[in-house]
Amino acid sequence: MDKIETEQNMASTELPHVQLGKAPLPESPILLGWLRQMLLIREFEVRTMQAYQNRLIGGFCHVYIGQEAVAVGSIAAVNPDDPIVLAYRCHGHALARGMDPKYCMAEMFGRIGGCAKGKGGSMHMFDAPHHLYGGHGIVGAQTPLGAGLAFATKYEDEVLHDGKSQHVTLCYLGDGAINQGAFYEAMNLAGLFNLPVIFILENNRYSMGTAIERGTTMASELHTKSAAHGINHAIVDGKDVVSMYQSFKSIADWCREESRPFFVEAQTYRYKGHSMSDPRKYRTREEEAREEGSDCIDRLEKFLCDEHDLTTDGIKQLTRQVKTQVREAVDWAKNSPETPMDELYKDVYVDHWGPFTGTSKPEMLQGEDE
Amino acid sequence: MPIEITMPRLSDTMEEGTLLHWHKQVGDVVSSGDVLADIETDKATMELQSFDDGIFSEILVQEGEKVEVGKVIALLSEEVESSDSQASPPNSSSPSQQEEHTGMTISPVARRLADEYGVDIRTIQGSGPSGRVIKRDILQVVDTTKETSAAAATTKPAELLQPIVSEPEVVATSQPIVPVGDWRENRSEPLSNMRQVIAKRLVESKQTIPHYQVTMSFDMDPLLDMRKTLNKQLAPSGVKLSVNDFLVRCCALAMSEHPAFNASFGGDCIYYHGPVNVGIAIALPEEKGGGLVVGSIRDADQKSLRAISQESARLGNKARDKGLSVEEMSDTTFTISNLGMFGVEHFTAIINPPNSAILAVGAAVEKPVVRDGELVVGHELSATLSLDHRVIDGAMAARYLKTLKDLIENPAALLV
Amino acid sequence: MSERIIEFRDALCEAMSEEMRDDQKVFLLGEEVAQYNGAYKISKGMLDEFGPRRVIDTPISESGFSGMAIGAAMRGLRPIVEFMSWSFSLVAADPILNNAAKMLYMSGGQFGCPIVFRGNDGAGGQLGSTHSWCVESLYANVPGLKMAIPYDAYDAKGMLKTAIRDDNPVFFLESERLLSTTGHVPQEDYTVPFGQAFVRRQGTDCTLISFGRPLHFCFEAAEELAKEGIDCEIIDGRTIRPLDIDTMVKSVKKTNACVVVDQSWSFASIGSEVASQIHRYCFDDLDNFVHRVHSDDVPTPYASNLEQAYLPNTRKICEAVRSATYNT
Repeated sequence: MDKIETEQNMASTELPHVQLGKAPLPESPILLGWLRQMLLIREFEVRTMQAYQNRLIGGFCHVYIGQEAVAVGSIAAVNPDDPIVLAYRCHGHALARGMDPKYCMAEMFGRIGGCAKGKGGSMHMFDAPHHLYGGHGIVGAQTPLGAGLAFATKYEDEVLHDGKSQHVTLCYLGDGAINQGAFYEAMNLAGLFNLPVIFILENNRYSMGTAIERGTTMASELHTKSAAHGINHAIVDGKDVVSMYQSFKSIADWCREESRPFFVEAQTYRYKGHSMSDPRKYRTREEEAREEGSDCIDRLEKFLCDEHDLTTDGIKQLTRQVKTQVREAVDWAKNSPETPMDELYKDVYVDHWGPFTGTSKPEMLQGEDE
Repeated sequence: MPIEITMPRLSDTMEEGTLLHWHKQVGDVVSSGDVLADIETDKATMELQSFDDGIFSEILVQEGEKVEVGKVIALLSEEVESSDSQASPPNSSSPSQQEEHTGMTISPVARRLADEYGVDIRTIQGSGPSGRVIKRDILQVVDTTKETSAAAATTKPAELLQPIVSEPEVVATSQPIVPVGDWRENRSEPLSNMRQVIAKRLVESKQTIPHYQVTMSFDMDPLLDMRKTLNKQLAPSGVKLSVNDFLVRCCALAMSEHPAFNASFGGDCIYYHGPVNVGIAIALPEEKGGGLVVGSIRDADQKSLRAISQESARLGNKARDKGLSVEEMSDTTFTISNLGMFGVEHFTAIINPPNSAILAVGAAVEKPVVRDGELVVGHELSATLSLDHRVIDGAMAARYLKTLKDLIENPAALLV
Repeated sequence: MSERIIEFRDALCEAMSEEMRDDQKVFLLGEEVAQYNGAYKISKGMLDEFGPRRVIDTPISESGFSGMAIGAAMRGLRPIVEFMSWSFSLVAADPILNNAAKMLYMSGGQFGCPIVFRGNDGAGGQLGSTHSWCVESLYANVPGLKMAIPYDAYDAKGMLKTAIRDDNPVFFLESERLLSTTGHVPQEDYTVPFGQAFVRRQGTDCTLISFGRPLHFCFEAAEELAKEGIDCEIIDGRTIRPLDIDTMVKSVKKTNACVVVDQSWSFASIGSEVASQIHRYCFDDLDNFVHRVHSDDVPTPYASNLEQAYLPNTRKICEAVRSATYNT
């Protein structure tokens, strides 16, 4: 596929039909880095499941296994200071954005070393230095926030700095969020105000246990849902990180240049259940096996072996590295102290009043120049 | 070291799980991701997957068994990586404390005021809903008591009660000798409001004022003679001078001469009062609850015997009848307590703050006296001053008594 | 010192305009705030001064534009979001409660939310049940937000400036019925700090505590009660979070009687919270339980007579004060 097929919006004539070329691929070391990131996310999520089952992690927990290429490919396509906002299945994106796995794991363990000092949990990963504006637990709630982050960068670039808008915001959502009103309001505002935001629909085919066809109209053409808002859209293969990157790079560059929103449907598959208590009775094991047969990591490994001199030994070495890194993260998280009681009343308000005692920095931020 | 496979927590609320089916046999090779067993949780039937590679070496929980989360259910041999650590989730919520509730028959502020004013709430019929005692009820009692007693004296030290402890006319006279009913039983009666005030204020006086006593006897014959004469003359106008009236005048005149007796201890100063107001202790009738109050004869040094007598009688009657007003009880600078009419010859009294002295007066009793070289029967009265040593020293007390003696024994001066 | 008398709505406009002149990060968005000059003419003239990039008309899309503004605030911008009515904020409950109020906490102190949500709160006048919401009791339950309710033009300006400068989300509740009232507003820059109640009338017999518009009825009631010899002290709480319970307690310690007048429904309300705290902090000073005057426990009726009977009014307040002071 040489061109990303984007369809002209149907409701408006303001926008031209956009034909975007695929961006060139970066050098081998960067591609290897993607593989490493995907391996890291997968190993991290496996150990997350284990830790959950061992009761080190509480509450709700959603793992990203199978979808790694979406986060890695899309995040690789934007600048490190472009804002990112997420839904609740957010560990993978946080790691792809550069969060040290130990802070992510400690957050789930509810320890002071967590990215949010154990106050957010699995669904709420925040990382200010990496411009990660959080995972958000309410389905679809992050979509107006994504519009707002794009509004802010545009306002900063145009009003405060009196220049041209030069950021693009990535706002991820699952296919379940496509039915939320907030998403349509966010799209309308993004289209109306020309906000440079890419809404990335990670279509893993199930909102919890509800297959997309059972919950959403036009299930096979979800990407067209933005048409009514005059927002260009595209479908990308979310299980192919190379394709993800190439499409995304072009789209992000266009959004940045035009200060316009975009809607991308990344077709992917979540291998595990919606959450840790999901028995996956709503789908067949054959379907799972079929999907796992075109695994995003396998595909990248093959691509790199075929075209970039990666060897089996190289893969093993990478695998060992990430296993070690994740084990260290788990150990670090285990050794991180429980969040002290004085944190209970911190971060409620910026200032001190009544029982509230202002804010304190997470360990992750200490020593950071904000 | 074998890798322990534990009963996994497969939902946020799962506490224990049932092992439905083992997918592996002992000796099977296991790869990470392989399904080991089906587990029934509180929500669903879930697959237990292996996180590690190894040989399935031992089954510890049989199919159908229900075990708690975290319990080892099987072992995997191999050295790959161990799954470990089962920290229990922290749980430190303390039970909330229940506050006690009691029926409210008195409003909180009324309860507080009752405490402050020493009002016995049991004696009050509340005017609030369902008879709740409210602030207004307490304040009314306080106001009324101010009129009928010194119960409200807390804010005005001059209204303090006179410290006589005796309860005249009561003891043994009205009670039958033969015990009847529960008369001989031990019993307790709640303090009346006035009794509470007496108890509180006199303890305070006795504990904070360094008391000492000085006693002197007076030859009363000249005064009694003059009283007889005057009372004859005044009879048509309905005036009857009492011995006490003379003593009030004597004390007042002596006070003008000895300002320390018309003074109060002020902590870092001695406060000398202008007006000379002599207080007289008035016992209240038992049928009205007993107790006593101190009536104030204002400017006693400026008043004639006749005026003193009239004022004294008026205060006594009003106190016993409907009670004195605050005005009528306040601002005394010296107090006289007289038990002479009961035949008491000698006693001591407790100072009535902020006075510096109190005179305890006994009865004028017949005594053999030597007069003009002859032994005759005369009348002698013994009086005892209790004094605040912070204000008045012994010699000063002696000089005051000397002045008093001169006046009593040469009563013509009282008419001037 | 000037002796300027201006309208409440103009005081609000001045507060926003002055803060926008001082800080480019401040901007206003909401329905009809720009071209229409504000549904209630509060933002009149602001589009002309600041242009469409800073005074922004939004579609009728409260959930969307509230969330959008919160996203912008997470990056350090300082949006002022106008709700034409707080009644409409209910469709934005998720962003304003889940995101604005909790962002700082859930991010472990990383992302604050310096934002002001403001608009009309409470019954306007025969607006019917859906448009007459008093949201204070609903929303004040949520930690992480501040809540301010100005009563006069002076406070409207001074408190809105404080709200805009505050680094926390502030819910600023105005009353349509107060917008045209006038009051002294100095020319000079000033602010009214949060958490400081204002004793608007001194009295000895009963403390009346209220916020915003019902204070008007408190004043009327105090006049009437004065004729009966009942001397009311009136406290304008000004902010609900933070709540200046100290000033209230001090007054009740003096009067021994207290009536809280709250325009929301009684169950789990501002009134019940204030009453609870009064009982907690000056139990031994109370001559009666704290009385409360609320809107009746029914949906807001349309009919004028019913609506008047439903709202906290002078008659209800007088009755409550008489009862609280045992003057029935």
